[in-house]
Amino acid sequence: MSGASFLYPFLESDERDPSTLLVDLASSADRKIDESRRLIERSRRQNRDVIEAAAGSMGHRIRAGGKVLVFGNGGSACDASAFVRRLEGISGLDVRARSLAADPVVLSALSNDVGVAQVFSRQVEASGSSDDVAVGFSTSGQSENVLRGFAVARTRGLLTIAFAGYRGGALTENPDIDHCIVIESDAVHRIQEAQADLSSLLCRLVAHGPRRSEEPT
Amino acid sequence: MTATPTVEDGAESPSRDAGDLARSALRIARRFSRGASLWSVAPGRVDHARHVAVEFVHPVVVGKRALPAEALVDADPVADVRRRADPGDIVIGIGPGDDPTLIEIARRAPAWGVEMFWIGWGARPPDESSATPLWLADGDEVSIVRSYHLLWELTHVCFEQPDVLGSGDDPPVSCAVCADDLSLAEVAEIEPGAAAVRMASGRGSVDTSLVGPVSVGDLLLVHAGVALRSLDEVR
Repeated sequence: MSGASFLYPFLESDERDPSTLLVDLASSADRKIDESRRLIERSRRQNRDVIEAAAGSMGHRIRAGGKVLVFGNGGSACDASAFVRRLEGISGLDVRARSLAADPVVLSALSNDVGVAQVFSRQVEASGSSDDVAVGFSTSGQSENVLRGFAVARTRGLLTIAFAGYRGGALTENPDIDHCIVIESDAVHRIQEAQADLSSLLCRLVAHGPRRSEEPT
Repeated sequence: MTATPTVEDGAESPSRDAGDLARSALRIARRFSRGASLWSVAPGRVDHARHVAVEFVHPVVVGKRALPAEALVDADPVADVRRRADPGDIVIGIGPGDDPTLIEIARRAPAWGVEMFWIGWGARPPDESSATPLWLADGDEVSIVRSYHLLWELTHVCFEQPDVLGSGDDPPVSCAVCADDLSLAEVAEIEPGAAAVRMASGRGSVDTSLVGPVSVGDLLLVHAGVALRSLDEVR
C-alpha cells in the first residue's frame, strides 16, 4: 500500500487521469464530511451529560471571577486558542481566559530548560488558583504534558475539563479530571472536528448560564 | 476577473463543495511539487491560520511530507504576503467574504504570481477577487476546520499520483484580464512617466504615460510594457 492508501483505499497507485482522480477525490471528500457529521452527532449524544455538568461547574467558577487556562499541542493548541477566543466572545460575561500554548517565548524557555513534558504544568503552577478552570485538549488522550498540566491543576484546586479522542486514553477514569469529554474515533482530523463542535457547545452552555441548559441536538 | 471554474461544469455524484476541494487540492499539490510555499491568513482567527500551517509543516500522519507553510498573523498580512511570497506560491485565506484584508490579498495575488484559495462564508468576494472560493454555508468552527483538514488530506493523496502533478493541463485562473492578454502589475516605486512594478513574471518597469498619476500600491493593467488602465484610479 502506498502512503495515502490507508486514507483513501480505493485509490490505485497507477491512476493517471486527473479527471478520474478528481471525481474520486471529491467522492471520498463527501464520505469524510459525512463521517465527520455522524461522529459529531454521536459524540454529542454520548457526552451530553458530561458536557452539561462541565458547563454548569465552569460557568459557576467564571461567574465567581475565576479564569480559564487552556492547553494542548499542535492542532490541539489551535483548538485551545479557538476555545479562548469563543469564551472571550461571550457577551455579558467578561471571561478571563488564556491559552498556555500561545506564547512561543514561554514554551521554548520551558521546553529547553525543564522539558516539553512540563510546558503546561509549570504555567498552571505559576498562575492557576483554586478559583480557576483548566481545559486540556489531546486527541490521543495520552499527551504527557497535558496529563501533567491536569495533575498540577488538581493539586492546586482547579476545576479540570478534558477533551480526548480514541477511547480517551489516560485522560479517562483519571482522578485528576473532573469532566472528560471523549470523541470515540481513531481519525485525528475527525476527532478535532468533533472537538471543535463540542467545545463550541460547551461555550454556548456556559454563556446561557447555570439555570437554562441548551439541548445538545 | 471572475472566479475559477466551478464544479457545476461537470458535477455528477460528488457535491459541489467536495468538487471544489478536490480541484483546489490538485492545484495546491502541483504548486508544492514545483517548490511553492504556502501562506495562511485568517484575520481575527489566527488560530485557524496556525492550524493550517501546522497541518502542512508537521503532518499528523507519519511518513507524510513536511511542506513549507507559515501562518501570517502579524498586523498587516497584505504587506507580509507581498514581502514574503514568491511567484508560484499559495495563499490560503480564511474569513468572511467582506473581510478587507482577504479582499486586498485576493485582488493583488495575480500581480504577485500567487494563487489564493479562500475558505469563506457570507457574501461572496468582489468580482475583482482572483481567489478560488471554497464557500461555506456559514462560518462555524467545524466547517472551517473540516475544510482545511480535507484540503490537506486530498493534497497528500495527489502526491501519491505523481503522474498528475506535472501534467501541462493546469488550467490558468480564468480571468478577463489574462484572457485579453493583459497582465496585472502592482506599483512598487514611481519614476518619471513610468513605474517600477511587480508582476507575476517578476519585477520590471512600465510606461505610465497613458494612465496619469499613479501611487505606490496601485494595480495597473499592463500590455507590452505599457500601463493601459489603473484599477485604483476611481478609488
